[in-house]
Amino acid sequence: MRIIPKKVEGIKFGLLSPEQIRKMSEVKIVTADTYDEDGYPIEGGLMDPRLGVVDPGLRCKTCGSRVGDCPGHFGRIELARPVIHVGYAKLINKILRSICRACGRILLPDDKIEAFRQELRKAKRIGKSEEPIVEELFKAARAVKKCPHCGEEQLDIKFEKPTTFIEDKQRLSPIDVRERLEKITDSDAEVMGFDVEVARPEWMVLTVLPVPPVTVRPSITLESGERSEDDLTHKLVDIIRINQRLEENIEAGAPQLIIEDLWELLQYHVTTYFNNEVAGVPPARHRSGRPLKTLAQRLKGKEGRFRSNLSGKRVNYSARTVISPDPNLSINEVGVPELIARELTIPVIVTPMNIEHIKKFIRNGPNKYPGANYVERPDGARLSLARVKNIDELLEKIEPGWKVHRHLIDGDIVLFNRQPSLHRMSIMAHEVRVLPYKTFRLNLCVCPPYNADFDGDEMNLHAIQGQEARAEARVLMRVQEQILSPRFGGPIIGGIHDHISGAYLFTQPEVRFTREQAFHLLYASGINKPLPEPAFVEDGKEYYTGKQIFSLLLPEDLNLTYKAKVCKKCEVCKEEECEYDAYVVIRNGKLEHGVMDEKSFGAFAGELLDRIVKDYGTDAAREFLDNVTKLVINFITWRGFSTGIDDEDLPEEAKERIAEILEEADRKVQELIRAYNENILEQLPGRTLEETLEMRIMQVLSEARDKTGAIANEYLEKEEKRRKHENSARIMAISGARGSLLNLTQMAACVGQQAVRGERIKRGYSGRTLPHFKVGDISASAKGFVRSSYKRGLSPLEFFFHNMGGREGLVDTAVRTSQSGYMQRRLINALQDLKVEYDNTVRDTRGVIVEFRHGEDGADPSRTDWGQMVNVKKIVQRYARKEAA
Amino acid sequence: MDRKPVLKSFLMKRELVRQHVDSFNDFIENRLQEIVDETKIIETDVGVEVELGNIFVDTAEVIEADGSRNKITPMEARLRNLSYFSPVYLEMKLRKEEREGEFERVKIGMLPTMIKSKICNLYGKSDEELIALGEDPLDPGGYFIVNGSERVLVTIEDLAPNKIMLEKGEEYSKITEVAKVFSRRGGFRALVTVERDRDGLIGVNFPSVPGSIPLVILMRALGVETDKEIMETISDDPAYTHDILLNLEEHIQIKTKEMAMEYIGKKVAAGQTREYRLKRAEQVIDRYLLPHIGVEPEDRLRKAHYLGRMVLRVLELAQGKRDPDDKDHYANKRLRLAGDLMEDLFRVAFYNLTRDIKYQLERAVVRGKEPSVHTAVRADVLTERIRHALATGNWVGGRAGVSQLLDRTNYLSVVSHLRRVVSPLSRSQPHFEARDLHPTQFGRICPSETPEGPNCGLVKNLALACEFSTGYPEKELIPFLYDLGVKPIQKEGL
Repeated sequence: MRIIPKKVEGIKFGLLSPEQIRKMSEVKIVTADTYDEDGYPIEGGLMDPRLGVVDPGLRCKTCGSRVGDCPGHFGRIELARPVIHVGYAKLINKILRSICRACGRILLPDDKIEAFRQELRKAKRIGKSEEPIVEELFKAARAVKKCPHCGEEQLDIKFEKPTTFIEDKQRLSPIDVRERLEKITDSDAEVMGFDVEVARPEWMVLTVLPVPPVTVRPSITLESGERSEDDLTHKLVDIIRINQRLEENIEAGAPQLIIEDLWELLQYHVTTYFNNEVAGVPPARHRSGRPLKTLAQRLKGKEGRFRSNLSGKRVNYSARTVISPDPNLSINEVGVPELIARELTIPVIVTPMNIEHIKKFIRNGPNKYPGANYVERPDGARLSLARVKNIDELLEKIEPGWKVHRHLIDGDIVLFNRQPSLHRMSIMAHEVRVLPYKTFRLNLCVCPPYNADFDGDEMNLHAIQGQEARAEARVLMRVQEQILSPRFGGPIIGGIHDHISGAYLFTQPEVRFTREQAFHLLYASGINKPLPEPAFVEDGKEYYTGKQIFSLLLPEDLNLTYKAKVCKKCEVCKEEECEYDAYVVIRNGKLEHGVMDEKSFGAFAGELLDRIVKDYGTDAAREFLDNVTKLVINFITWRGFSTGIDDEDLPEEAKERIAEILEEADRKVQELIRAYNENILEQLPGRTLEETLEMRIMQVLSEARDKTGAIANEYLEKEEKRRKHENSARIMAISGARGSLLNLTQMAACVGQQAVRGERIKRGYSGRTLPHFKVGDISASAKGFVRSSYKRGLSPLEFFFHNMGGREGLVDTAVRTSQSGYMQRRLINALQDLKVEYDNTVRDTRGVIVEFRHGEDGADPSRTDWGQMVNVKKIVQRYARKEAA
Repeated sequence: MDRKPVLKSFLMKRELVRQHVDSFNDFIENRLQEIVDETKIIETDVGVEVELGNIFVDTAEVIEADGSRNKITPMEARLRNLSYFSPVYLEMKLRKEEREGEFERVKIGMLPTMIKSKICNLYGKSDEELIALGEDPLDPGGYFIVNGSERVLVTIEDLAPNKIMLEKGEEYSKITEVAKVFSRRGGFRALVTVERDRDGLIGVNFPSVPGSIPLVILMRALGVETDKEIMETISDDPAYTHDILLNLEEHIQIKTKEMAMEYIGKKVAAGQTREYRLKRAEQVIDRYLLPHIGVEPEDRLRKAHYLGRMVLRVLELAQGKRDPDDKDHYANKRLRLAGDLMEDLFRVAFYNLTRDIKYQLERAVVRGKEPSVHTAVRADVLTERIRHALATGNWVGGRAGVSQLLDRTNYLSVVSHLRRVVSPLSRSQPHFEARDLHPTQFGRICPSETPEGPNCGLVKNLALACEFSTGYPEKELIPFLYDLGVKPIQKEGL
């Protein structure tokens, strides 16, 4: 088949003219019945075989094609009397009011009409909306009481929803309406916004009704052999029935009253055929009382054609299951259960080079891994291997040009996705690793971009079917290409949790390994590099430091200095002499000073990882990340790491000091309240006195909580040093692995003020929050300040206040998820077809420029240093080193 | 001090789902009769009347396929997919052309039986007996069995009826202050609002009247005619004189009760004859304005005084002497238990039944048959209406999800489900305030147990030691108040 290249220039919408409807219709539908007693469709009925085929095996009477190929063909119903199309009733009303009831001209003098015509042309030329101009015309013409063309007095036209027009108490029948619309000249129609070539006003009044093909309204055969018709068919049956009766009555010369009743009924049926949810019209119902789903209902809303079938499609070659972690996979990989690998296939074209290899897959068949599920002949016919009896016979026939749908195997590129897909890193390309069991496995470093955890999360996997798509996915979408986030120009993929605390412990200055231990670690982590000279020798034994081993993973010419997460931000930085070892210095690929923590290779923060991706490429970064995580995980597993409630133990002295601070805060609050009562409280600018008091109290209490936290931290640290035993909870907090010092404060020292919508608890009984307090009590404890720590336990009142604060959080998350989903939908709709063109402009599909340069600076944020386009410090350092060398 | 024995003895004495069982028992023992008494006599268009007497409910039974009737246990109902329903009998007396008949006891239908209520066959059984009947002695009861499935009537949290609630008007709207009251009489609920607009004019809204009626006109229509009387009905505090005068002046042209009635008549029955308009105006005032005070013409004066109270509050709010009421304050909430919900349902079902009885009697007479209460009562009308509502959860008034399948995941989930409280607020809107844990819920609603997600804070559970108070009958209270020296409201000069 020759492919004729065609390009869609544009889409023009218009109305169907009666002639057009007749021309495109294959059959005139005259009978309301669908099938005869033998179950064959009746000619001239709604299931006329000329309307297309729906039963497999039959050929279409009109076009001769089979089921999938025949698009179906329209029929028509010749209406005995015209009816109004509900969708245009409002517009008809506007037009009727704007034209003369006698001559059909617009009720404006010619010069004014001309002026509107000019304005309309201008709007069209500059691509502005024509609607407001036409509206303006309708408004102007409506006010005219006497036709400037023929002098006829105009009567008031009332529009009774949905389809009735009344002129001075006289009902206008659709025939009258149509006659008036017919009188409108082509040039007048144009000024009212019509393109008369495709839409004459009178076409809004139907004289012929197109009958959609059976393919649009297929009937279902139930198990009992009974046929059940589509809602549209039901509605069409109603229309035909009434139409017939109307016609018979007109022919028999029945009284006007009866004819009008039937006409009205026909109007009702046609109205509900288009839209069964028109205001003021009782919806047409099924026998069971269920409202029918007619044309408008098919398109509208979440379950409608647009949102559910066009914006949201379902795909084949995809799989979904629960995810679980596997630290032994590379970040680029995804573990696929064999069960899924046997179901998902990849099409491979047989060539002389791969024919023998491919035949092995075919021989294995669909049930033995790695096999194949289908073979496709060069003519496109598919053979299911599950149904092939004689494999050898088939193998004989296989030759270059055939296509084999083989199972997924290690190394295949697939797309992996977790909803909600909020950014581009929500779908990334992974390499397949077929593994036993039934979950998808992924490396922990890719949890942040997917926002995944393993509390039952499920993810989707898509097997790519085309070569181009595969290449594109590999180059653009592979996990390692996504390490840098386009959101903030740093790594979004990186170490989390134990990776961080592991690295922190591993790179502590005092950590040392014997030769055996060092080799063991490197071997277990799969790192194949020679050990450097030992750091020191003691009692004839060689020792290696953690930093030395860590350095093995770094590129040899890497030079970098930065302050670690543990940095206390002292007034004067002691740099390399830092007592917390927070000043990281890497010289020529050797970690000389500093500990590794969140700032080194953590997701969202890793400076070191950031430098490696940007200077050494994604391959190096992937290797680094894979190795470093394996190494530290092995280390921390061997060493042991655990936290318990004794990590929040404080000595009596600390507890006393905390109590003292809280007493002090209480006193300060009382002081403020007294000052307020005596009216000597200094008012803050822009605040009322009450607001000032609240703010000051909040401030005092939050300071108090922070102070207790500082004390707790101080003692925890002291205790650590004294007992020579690190506090795991504290380590996790300061290294950035998990939790914060605030969490520690709340557990060990004081939970602090509970707030609802940013304020202290204020609702409740009149004048007080709870009856446990005196009326008017606004002290700390009466308004939700929790003195206790989680470890000590909350008093019943504190517990209740804490619950109040907690409830707000729960409600917030529940409400926010739905709201953010809706906002995302709207953003996507608004921005979906903007793209950067080759001339660097951002344009929409019409070619209208939205931005002259992307982001107005043309920068790719993922190539910047945390949003900084030029990192002067980095450049200076590089040249300084060159100079020195 | 060790408080455990206290809690233990509390829980031993007051079982966890006592509220439902008590409420249902009250429904069976008192409120059923009240609903019947609301109708009292079924009149027909053919000169036959039925007088209704006492209602009586037997314990649960089943009608077998052969027509025999047997007492059943809940377990039998569960296992055989039956409904655990009890027969209801009503005394009826047929009166034909002044010929008085005898009271006959007629079975009018079946009523769902709450497990462990007084009409349950397990009532008063010991643990051993329960075990012998195949029941778990620890099962709390408090639910129904419909077609073999266990159904719970979930407690509904409603805004308190017959209570004046003050609100600020919406921002930028014409109305600045509103006093609302959900006036409730029997099954009928009418929302009456008193609104003050930006210009200080006060209007009253109530059902079946389009738009609002100016306060002054309504007062006059209620028989508080002179300006002085109106002033006194609201407040004699000079602080509000100006506000009231403003309103009096606005409607100076309507001076008398008759003119006021005329005005209201034009509103409620425009385009009708004058006679009908006046009749309709009176009817509307008696039936739809504050029905909880009364529905007779002699209640009008008391209604005027109640309105005066509402107006005073609106004025106080406008002058900043009062704060708007907190809708989420638990004092402003009422919980509707299984008995209350059954009452709503039974009232509608019983009304349907009386209409059917009327129809059947009329048909019998028209066909020349001897009318009889036994043939006129089609018991299925009542039974099926109730069964359908209970089986689907579609209650009267269009509320869905009222009855739910009892969550039998484990014992705790059962107890939790039976103590669930739902708010009728829509889950799709934020309603931040309503979802918050309110301090007045302390000791009443569990602060921790609420679902996450769209229902958060709207679905609640009772606190462990929560107890229910059920109100006190007005009939007994009012004479007591008079005894204490309260003076009845009277028009001056009477």
